[in-house]
Amino acid sequence: MFCRNVARNGCKFHRLYHSNPIEHVKPLHIKPLTYGKQSPQYKVLSLALLEYVPKHGFSERSIVESLNKLGYPSSMVSSIGASNSPSFFHSSTAVMELVKFQLVDKRYRLTEGINPDVTSRYKLPSLEHLLLKRLEMDKLIGGQLADLMSQLAVPSRLLFETAIPELHRLSDDMIYFSNEEDHHDSAWYAKRLAVSSTYIGSKLFMAQDKSHDFKETFAFAKEKLHKVMRLGEYYNNTEEFAWYTLMSTVNLVKSQLARG
Amino acid sequence: MLSRVSVFKPVGRAFSVLSSLRITEHTPAKKTEKPEHVPRCENLSDAQTAFLDRVIRVDQAGELGADYIYAGQYFVLAHRYPHLKPVLKHMWDQEVHHHNTFNNLQLKRRVRPSLLTPLWKVGAFAMGAGTALISPEAAMACTEAVETVIGRHYNGQLRNLANQFDLKRTDGTRGPSEEIKSLTSTIRNFRDDELEHLDTAIKHDSYMAVPYTVITEGIKTVCRVAIWSAERI
Repeated sequence: MFCRNVARNGCKFHRLYHSNPIEHVKPLHIKPLTYGKQSPQYKVLSLALLEYVPKHGFSERSIVESLNKLGYPSSMVSSIGASNSPSFFHSSTAVMELVKFQLVDKRYRLTEGINPDVTSRYKLPSLEHLLLKRLEMDKLIGGQLADLMSQLAVPSRLLFETAIPELHRLSDDMIYFSNEEDHHDSAWYAKRLAVSSTYIGSKLFMAQDKSHDFKETFAFAKEKLHKVMRLGEYYNNTEEFAWYTLMSTVNLVKSQLARG
Repeated sequence: MLSRVSVFKPVGRAFSVLSSLRITEHTPAKKTEKPEHVPRCENLSDAQTAFLDRVIRVDQAGELGADYIYAGQYFVLAHRYPHLKPVLKHMWDQEVHHHNTFNNLQLKRRVRPSLLTPLWKVGAFAMGAGTALISPEAAMACTEAVETVIGRHYNGQLRNLANQFDLKRTDGTRGPSEEIKSLTSTIRNFRDDELEHLDTAIKHDSYMAVPYTVITEGIKTVCRVAIWSAERI
């Protein structure tokens, strides 16, 4: 039952049909969050993420300090996490919401202002640019990344309903909003998995990176993306060669048969 | 891959009956800028997006299957029975066009393709080539069975699109968005093309196929199972 619920909720917003943004009113909520940019929750969590998380980490203290700064009662911390069910593995629902907010809000901000429907393809940013931009967004909370990653990796509802779907939504966004070529078959999945693994690899590297301004992380991410894309190229070339060989064999057999 | 081998030339075709090929060349909404005062539609509900997600995925997989079935038939029959060549080529060209349209929609609307795509490719080619190897009539019976199922499937989708997408607009009126209208007209055109293929198959003696009931009923069942799984997986 638990697995079924998790699967259903995880799939609920999982890369569904995206209708065009031009014809429809602006959505009130930043899906899958349950509030919009004008809401108090958004203000509290974004201030917490910007000012207090770098100091106190992903904890209730950051949220409470942000509440105090904005003049809200600190008891509001319980309503902030109201959309999450309590978990045995996590300290508080409000912290889970903060973690979710960090993933969702930064994903939306990454592609703000980019519209592939209007912009021609060669003017869109490259995949590498978007990947590095997303890593740069986490420079401020660089010291807290190890904590964040461990909270996300704990096998719980948060992992299946937020962490993994968000990761794949991020890689999907990176490919859709960049000038990267997209595919109609299994390559669609392979490319997204490759980008997700590159991103997670770089994030884990970043969590332990002590170099100035995370220079080594960016070099690592670039190289890893390059390697993964080259792997894709190897596969494509092999497939093309195999197909060419098959076709020439078929044609050879046909011509021999025609000669009689 | 096979579609790449065939060169798609809509101009100057000897057997062109429908003009729909030209109408639906670029069906997705072309309007990029829309002024602020134009009324906007409410956002689609989760159920509506989930339905459209399935529609695009299953139709893409279906058209891919049709494309490969005709490729298989053409591969076997084109040289042995030259009188069938233009008929098959015409139907195949239309399927290539349908396939491309849904491929574009899949990328534009960000729907994931069916995970079983490699299976559809191999299965469809084998089905087309296999029935063509039995006899040209069996190939036509295969076309008849496939197009019957597809026609009904498209009709079901059209019914849903007509009933379930009465969206509210900011000016108080109701009705489907341009995007839904365009998808509906695309599917309607494609349905008509598929039913034309059904007629063509019957005209070319699909009823003369030897184990007629076995072939048609077997293929209809396979198609229904394929549709069911392509919607979900």
